[in-house]
Amino acid sequence: MNIVVKHIIRFIVLVAAQVLVLNQLEIGFGIQFMVYPLFIVLLPFDLGIIYMLLIAFVMGTSIDAISNTYGLHTSSLLVITYLRPAIFKLFGPRDGYDILKEGNMYEMGTRWFISVFGLMLLIHHLWFFTLEIFRFDDMLFVLRKTLFSVPLSFLFCLLFQAMFVTKPNSR
Amino acid sequence: MRNLIAFFRRFRVFLIFVLLQVVALSVYFTFLNFPRSQYLTSASKVSGLILTVQNDITKHFNLSLNNDKLQKENIRLRNRLPQSFQRMQNGWAKINDTLFHQQYEYIPASVINSTSTKRNNYFTLNIGSKQGVVRGMGVFSDKGIVGIVHTSSAHFAVVKTVLTENINIDVMIEPIGLFGLMKWDGRDPRRGSITGISNDLKIKRWSKVVTRGGSGIFPRGLNVGKVEKLNPVEGKPLWDVVIRFSEDYRTIQRVYVIKNLFQEEQNKLELLIPEDKEE
Repeated sequence: MNIVVKHIIRFIVLVAAQVLVLNQLEIGFGIQFMVYPLFIVLLPFDLGIIYMLLIAFVMGTSIDAISNTYGLHTSSLLVITYLRPAIFKLFGPRDGYDILKEGNMYEMGTRWFISVFGLMLLIHHLWFFTLEIFRFDDMLFVLRKTLFSVPLSFLFCLLFQAMFVTKPNSR
Repeated sequence: MRNLIAFFRRFRVFLIFVLLQVVALSVYFTFLNFPRSQYLTSASKVSGLILTVQNDITKHFNLSLNNDKLQKENIRLRNRLPQSFQRMQNGWAKINDTLFHQQYEYIPASVINSTSTKRNNYFTLNIGSKQGVVRGMGVFSDKGIVGIVHTSSAHFAVVKTVLTENINIDVMIEPIGLFGLMKWDGRDPRRGSITGISNDLKIKRWSKVVTRGGSGIFPRGLNVGKVEKLNPVEGKPLWDVVIRFSEDYRTIQRVYVIKNLFQEEQNKLELLIPEDKEE
């Protein structure tokens, strides 16, 4: 499949899953599921950062427009997109990334994925909840929300990969 | 000049990041207070359409619960019908009633999108300015108040619910008639609090909290909830009254929008109050 078509389909599926299904799941304790940061990790390794920022802006705005959050998702998605090259460099292999590969769990390994995506998800959720609550005396509440939400969002992302990302050996 | 261009080339990624971030954050922070446009909200045409389709599917999940609610309300209203009363006196002449003018009209609506876990929760309704919904109208359900209309497009409207930061609805505690402002602290969608109530007054637990009707958005006496707990405020002679909402905002579907026919008259009159001069 063409790589552009593949990413467009992924974009639509992730936005739809976020606004139509995950935004409606409210299980209390302030937990929110957010899977769309996965899209940023799965973008090709050799894509320019400026394109990525624009893609992140479009994606965040389309989620915000439907879920009445007015810029919250956009802002947190832009933050992790901007930090993506630095995080990738931090955990990257010694001789650089193979640009034919993709940043998913099957091609890059579980350990790489957990550390890179876990860090990105943590930054994303922390930024999101801090902006949403925006009070210093509620910092503990922000941390509690973040710590409860990150593992659950991570699980949903694993589920999404199992469903929509092809494993290399099954090609 | 060459240095400037070199500067922009060097930091272009960061500058674009900052630019996009500023756009996103300015939309976020201005929207909390005043909506500039409807394009980035669920009141816009495309998002409204998507949410309508979604609601057509998911509204059936709570169908039996909502039917029960509507049936209970029907019973309550049916009990007030003339047919359910026995006539005790005959022969009175019927004249056109000039003692009572209708002040409030109600427009039925259904909620097509709602959240309850965020800091500021907004509901989207399936009616808009074509049906007469404008910014500032009150919204309630059969059990209690819901919120105030924040913005409306032709066919959809966004409601700022009780579960937002600066909602400040004026309420009163029923038997004694104490006034206070209701707020929500962002934690529990079942409980809110009332501020500004002096602690020399005794308030019974589970006494009813209703709207005061001062600003003309809600009629007087709409249900809000019940007093659950009284917490002392440190350093001030005030109670922080914790109330339990009578409506469960997590399963809400059918609401009514309130149209106050005298709102303009009240606003015009209140404009005549001279403002306090700062000294």
